[in-house]
Order: sequence, then C-alpha cells, then structure tokens
Amino acid sequence: MKFSPSLFDVRDVNFTRGDNEILKSVNLTILKGEYCAIIGPNGGGKTTLIRLLMGLEKPTSGTIKLFGTDQSKFREWHRIGYVPQRSALVDATFPATVREVVAMGRYARRGIFGFESLEDIGAIEESMEQMGVSDLRDRLIGHLSGGQRQRVMIARALASHPQVLIVDEPNTGVDVESQHRFYELLRVLNKSKGIAILFITHDVGVIAEDISKLFFVNQTLLLSQTPQEMLRCDSMSRLYGTPAHVVSHNH
Amino acid sequence: MVEMLSYPFMQRAFIAGLMIALLAAMSGSFIVLRRYSLLSETLAHVSLVGVSVGILFGLSPLWMAVVASLIASWLIEYLRSVHGMYSDSVLAIFLSGSLALAIVIVSLSGSFNASLFSYLFGSILSVSNDDLMIMGFFGSLSMALLILFFKELYFIAFDEEVARTSGIRVPLLNFMLVSIIAVIIALSIRVVGTLLIGALMVIPPVAAIRFGMGFFSTTLLSIAIALVCVVAGLSLSFFFSLPSGAAIVLCLLVAFIFALVVNRR
Repeated sequence: MKFSPSLFDVRDVNFTRGDNEILKSVNLTILKGEYCAIIGPNGGGKTTLIRLLMGLEKPTSGTIKLFGTDQSKFREWHRIGYVPQRSALVDATFPATVREVVAMGRYARRGIFGFESLEDIGAIEESMEQMGVSDLRDRLIGHLSGGQRQRVMIARALASHPQVLIVDEPNTGVDVESQHRFYELLRVLNKSKGIAILFITHDVGVIAEDISKLFFVNQTLLLSQTPQEMLRCDSMSRLYGTPAHVVSHNH
Repeated sequence: MVEMLSYPFMQRAFIAGLMIALLAAMSGSFIVLRRYSLLSETLAHVSLVGVSVGILFGLSPLWMAVVASLIASWLIEYLRSVHGMYSDSVLAIFLSGSLALAIVIVSLSGSFNASLFSYLFGSILSVSNDDLMIMGFFGSLSMALLILFFKELYFIAFDEEVARTSGIRVPLLNFMLVSIIAVIIALSIRVVGTLLIGALMVIPPVAAIRFGMGFFSTTLLSIAIALVCVVAGLSLSFFFSLPSGAAIVLCLLVAFIFALVVNRR
C-alpha cells in the first residue's frame, strides 16, 4: 500500500490568549481528498483553529504537522489554498482586476525575476474557468457582488494547484442562492480534482451527507464524529448548550 | 523650454526631479493602498534631523538625511510589527518628535539659515553634481528592488495575511519597503523639500486610483502623473522664481482635482 501522510496532523494543541483559553487539547487529522467541515458557535475558536493550521498563530503547546512536516519547517505553502473569512469584503476602489487577483495565487511559485510562464498563464486561466469568473477578468474586484468575489478568491487559491483548500465562513456577505452554488462547487472540486476541502460554517444545513469528517469546535472541546451522529438533535443540544433543532434545507 | 534646459542647474534639477517622480510614484502606490500614507510625511520630517546634523557638523546633509530616515523607518516598522503599536500613533510620535529634534539641533548651530529653507520647500538651484551621484546610486538600487519585488509587495498590499500563508516573506519585505521609502524621501528633499515630499508620494497614486483600473495600469498612470507634474512644477519654478517643491505640489493638486472631476460618481 502506498504511504499517504496526512495533510494536516494536529496533536494536543492548546492555544491561550492572555488568560483566555481559546482551544484546549485539540486533535485533528485530515487526509488526502477528504471533504471536511468545522462547525461551532461564534467565538468558539473555529477561525483560531484555521489560523493555527496556517501558521498565523502559534500554538501555546502541542504540534502541528503539514504534509508530514513540522509546521515550523514547512515551506511548500502553495500546496495549501487559504481563503479567509473577510476575503469577500474588499475595498470598492482597490485597484485590482479579477485577473490580477487570481494571478497572485502563482506569485509564491514564480520567485524573484518571475515573469508569468506559460504554465502560470494556463493555471490562472484554468482556475478562472473552473470558478466561472473568466468573463469578469478585467473588472475591478471591488465592483463585484459578494458571491462573485468569493469565487475569485477561490480561483486565486486554486491557481497554485493546492492539494487542500481551506475556506473560512464562505457565507459572509453572500446571498443564499450563491451560497448553495458555492458549496456545490466545493463538492465538485473535491470529487473531480481530488482536492481535500476544509471549510468553516455555522450553517449546519449546508453540510452534505457524504461529508468525510465533521469537526465541532467550542472553546475547549473538539469532537470528530460521523455527520449523522453529530446532526442528531441531542448531540447538537449538548454541543451548543441549548435545545437545538436541525432543519434540513434539502438542496 | 530650450533656454531653460541650457542651464546646468536646471539640467540637474530635471534629472533629479524625474528620478524622484518615478521612484515616489512607484513606491507611493504601496503605502497608499496600505493606509500608510503618513509614513512619507513622517520620514520627511525625520530627514530634516539628518539635514540639521549635517549642517551643524559640516557633513553632507543628503547623506545624513538618508541615514536618519533609514534608522527611523526601521524603528517605526519594529514598533508597529513587533510591539503591535498603532501605525498612526507611532507615526505621529516620530513626526513631531523628529521636528522638535531638528529645530533644537538647528538652533544649536546658530540660526535658521537660507540653506535650511531650501531643504524645507525644495530649490532647483540646490542640486549639486554630488547630490546627483548619491541619488543615482541609491535611486537605482531602490528602483531595482521595487521592480524585483513588485508582485510580492502588491500581494502584501492586497492581503497581508494571505500573502504570508502563500509563503511570501512578509516581515522582510515590509522592512525592505519602508527602507526604500526612507531612502527615496531623503533623496527627494533637495528638489521637493521635506514639508512637501509627502504629496509627491501620495497624490499620484490617489489620483490614478480614481480612474478605476487594475494595479499595473494604475501604477503606470501614477508614474505618468508624477513625471508630468514634476516637469510642470520645475518649469513654473524656473519662470516664476518659486520654490520648486511648492510649484510641483500645486501641479499635483491640479492633477488630483482633474482626476476627481473626470471620475465623479
């Protein structure tokens, strides 16, 4: 059997800010091609967990390995596509066309003196095509709708040909119809390209039944269960601390 | 025009002015987009400390301005990035602090003299061959670095965190950018003057952004605006005996108003 290291391997990670314990004893593994979601209440530490994975915060204790390499020694960041929460909120006048934003996804691969190679151009065109933003290439990013911007940001992340895509709260500033199309796109990327996906949401309804792993993050607690188990009302009530009902959106 | 360019001092002023316009407009885009416009103003005041030290001890004011501005830029970036202080507060402290220091040093040297006036508002008569050599050296170095790291600096201006997670060495490039800006500002004080250089760095990008284009086109337009305004300003300065810095900034203001009117929404 071919050895396949986990993409993310988080062991006993704790994170405190001042006296606040934000995350406690977090363990998490994501394997190649998995389709995973993180849910949990606001302020529960979902975004902090993602920031720890991306090296934007340092854990107080514990270890994080990316592609089998200790995070501090990891250099191949182009293998991870990251779309932060606020990415759909861009200053309306920022001078950046859609094409320029997507091209940023290739910068780390180009190095200094790096002019766009044919490979770069191909990757940029392909990812714009995939996300359906090719027609918007010359438009300013700030002039697009929330949903369109979100797709441009994903296209930028895809341009570096990542093996895993992390998307934080894709719904921020995006209408319901775009949200549904967006999750379908994530699923297609996962199925057709084999890209592992990890997304944060607080909308339980968008979680597909065939999800590989569902993580629940609430401050000091992290559970990894099957979705069916997690979505049972008693589990949700226990995790959110209040009586909860899961409403199916059937999409 | 031909008559104006027949004077060696005007030739030197034009060479220096065009070089500064190119550098200021190019680097200015990055600080404007990062909401860091006051950095140029602050470093210009810090350069004045260097100039006054130069005047007091009989050293090259331009060299001293480069040194003072560089040291201050590193301190500002250190306080901002490592100590997490608010950028605008750090800049405010350095701006008034350095001006106070410069005034004390100049007072120690005896008097506010005419040469200091030229450093405040710029003078086309003041650019020497030595100045041009210093500007040529530091200017080419700064330009080379700006071109080499143009795309990385753009990515950082767009989204610093995502740039970092893409493997771009953000802290190093931030230090490099403030160093380049420090050098450009120190070099500019002969032609534009310390009190006015901020405008040359900030107005061309702000005016260019109004036209709603992508970053590459915006930068090219910004450079064009800076070059045209410097040529116009230096010419006005020659024909009407005005301080060159003030004449250039007035031209920039006209360009800015034009950009506003043309692109009103």
